[in-house]
Amino acid sequence: MKKLKKILAKVLEVGEDEITKETSPNNVENWDSFNALMLVSELENEFNVKFTMDEVRQIKNVGDIMKILNKHGIKIA
Amino acid sequence: MNKKNAQKIKTVSDYFEEYRSVKKKLEFEDISKLKKVKIAILSSSTIQGIEKILSVECYNLGIIPEIFIGGYKQYYQEVLDKTSSLYEFKPDLIIISIDTHTLLGDAYFSYFQLAEEEKKRLFKNGINEVTSLVDNIKKNLNSKVIFHNFEVPIYSPLGIIDNKQELGFIEFVKKINSELEKRFKLDNQIFIFDYETFCSKWGKNNITDYKMYYLGDIKINLKYLPKLCGEYISYIKPLMSMTKKCIVLDLDNTLWGGIIGEDGLAGIRLGPNPEGKPFVEFQKYILSLFNRGIILAINSKNNLEDALDVIKNHPYMILREENFASIKINWNDKVSNIKEIAKELSIGLDSLVFFDDDKLNREMVKLALPEVEVVDLPEDPSLYLKVLMELNDFNSFYFSEEDKKKGVMYVDQRRRSELSEVGTDITEYLKALDMSVVIERATPFNIPRISQLTQKTNQFNMTTRRYLEENIKQFSDNNNYFVFSVKVEDKFGDNGLTGIAIIEKKERKWIIDSFLLSCRVIGRRIEETILAYILEEAEKEKVDVLIGEFIPTKKNDPAKDFYRKNGFELIGEKKDMQLWKFPVEKSYKYPEFIKIVKK
Repeated sequence: MKKLKKILAKVLEVGEDEITKETSPNNVENWDSFNALMLVSELENEFNVKFTMDEVRQIKNVGDIMKILNKHGIKIA
Repeated sequence: MNKKNAQKIKTVSDYFEEYRSVKKKLEFEDISKLKKVKIAILSSSTIQGIEKILSVECYNLGIIPEIFIGGYKQYYQEVLDKTSSLYEFKPDLIIISIDTHTLLGDAYFSYFQLAEEEKKRLFKNGINEVTSLVDNIKKNLNSKVIFHNFEVPIYSPLGIIDNKQELGFIEFVKKINSELEKRFKLDNQIFIFDYETFCSKWGKNNITDYKMYYLGDIKINLKYLPKLCGEYISYIKPLMSMTKKCIVLDLDNTLWGGIIGEDGLAGIRLGPNPEGKPFVEFQKYILSLFNRGIILAINSKNNLEDALDVIKNHPYMILREENFASIKINWNDKVSNIKEIAKELSIGLDSLVFFDDDKLNREMVKLALPEVEVVDLPEDPSLYLKVLMELNDFNSFYFSEEDKKKGVMYVDQRRRSELSEVGTDITEYLKALDMSVVIERATPFNIPRISQLTQKTNQFNMTTRRYLEENIKQFSDNNNYFVFSVKVEDKFGDNGLTGIAIIEKKERKWIIDSFLLSCRVIGRRIEETILAYILEEAEKEKVDVLIGEFIPTKKNDPAKDFYRKNGFELIGEKKDMQLWKFPVEKSYKYPEFIKIVKK
């Protein structure tokens, strides 16, 4: 979770401790369509995984990201 | 805003974070004295994010950038419309990247359905589109233009027989690239950036992340944006006159493996075997940099005799004594040696690149002399060559014959000063140099160099007026002006074209608009030779007075007293300029020991 939060914080310009599963484009100003892709790119590089296009399209909040990472075998507590 | 931070920035989000933190810091800093650059980026696909990354790269060099990102797919309109925000922005540098798919449109997929005639038309249209974009910019702006060439596709519907066609798909794109290079080969405003090679370098299989392309029209995988910005920096450095001139080299474990003082001539690693070859090839590449005009110097803690023995006598040593303009082999600390080298060569610390395998030495230099570029050599010597080849510090937009000889010239200079240490009388020394000065009017061949000298010369420069090639050409075509250059040769070699003067000819009065001499020949009475020549020509044309203008700057102290010492009289000052007068009838002689050749 720490690695994930760190990346979210850097890309979205939010404090690490403000991040929860419910954090989403609705409550983070900088979570726009470009930063959403940036986020994916940074996560892929950090965790060495590849998201599919559908997975990217289904991301609605941080909880979704955790689910996808879990699916790719990355355990996020 | 410092080099230490630069090493910690790795991922794109690191760049974003750094960008925000520098931005915040800059709000409270006085940036008026820092270099500034305006960059416009026009692209056919999404390049969001590049602005922040490129900004951070500029900050790391101490440059404050202002970046204009063209509207999404708006590049054509922005260039064609003279009232567009692009022209209002007045960039110093314009980067244009059009991807292959956009250039070819639907033909990207349907290429093989086209008749040969249509393929030819497609080719012509592609080239015309690029040329017309560039021509419009050239007509309206002086900005340098970086134009991406086109990524050559790695697939063709015809597969292995693509290159059996009259003009296969892959060959088609390659041909466009080669035509573009040809077209702008001699253009000193337009530079074709080899994006195709950039893609190969990082791997065409990785350069496009297809889901990003479909989701956001992003054609370059975001993780390569920092690499791309690194390529742009290769252009920004010369644009901001941040080109390095000299490589300062350590010896032990840098030019050869091992320590000469301990391992001895036969024990060091240098030669055609696996452990010696990395050093041989590292030296070979340095030698080729020397031959393109980079000055070399040695900074080594060693016994002078031991080290010189290798340089002179080791059978596999590539760099020899005659390649080094300054040799500091002693037990002094590296920092003071570097300062000495800069002083000896009369170049700024910011023109130096320092190579040393020892981390401690590197850190000391970084700390004490932040202007010096310190290369972090890897532990493994097999990577030295790669690190050296990747440096982007020696680029320039223009490359003259003089530039090529610079490495040699500075070595000659070292020998000259060794001669002057022996003789004490300066006139005797100058006589012994056996100098000749070749005076030549401006010609199409020397105009680029004349312009370059006005741009670069700071010390012996009376007015420090900077002129472009076009300006010099206008002067030389105008009968009211007289432009000439001087070349200096002596027994140690050719110093190249090192001085120029521009005279404005008025009725019975000539005004010296520009008069300068490169610092490496200052104080050898070439100054007086130039003046004597001007007066000789003035007399021929029955001129009464010669007026010398002098504009003081922070750097032109060496020129300050020249007119006074040479019989001129101060007749007035306007604004920051002094006016000095010399009656032409008054006699003035050429220094007798300099041979004059007029062309």
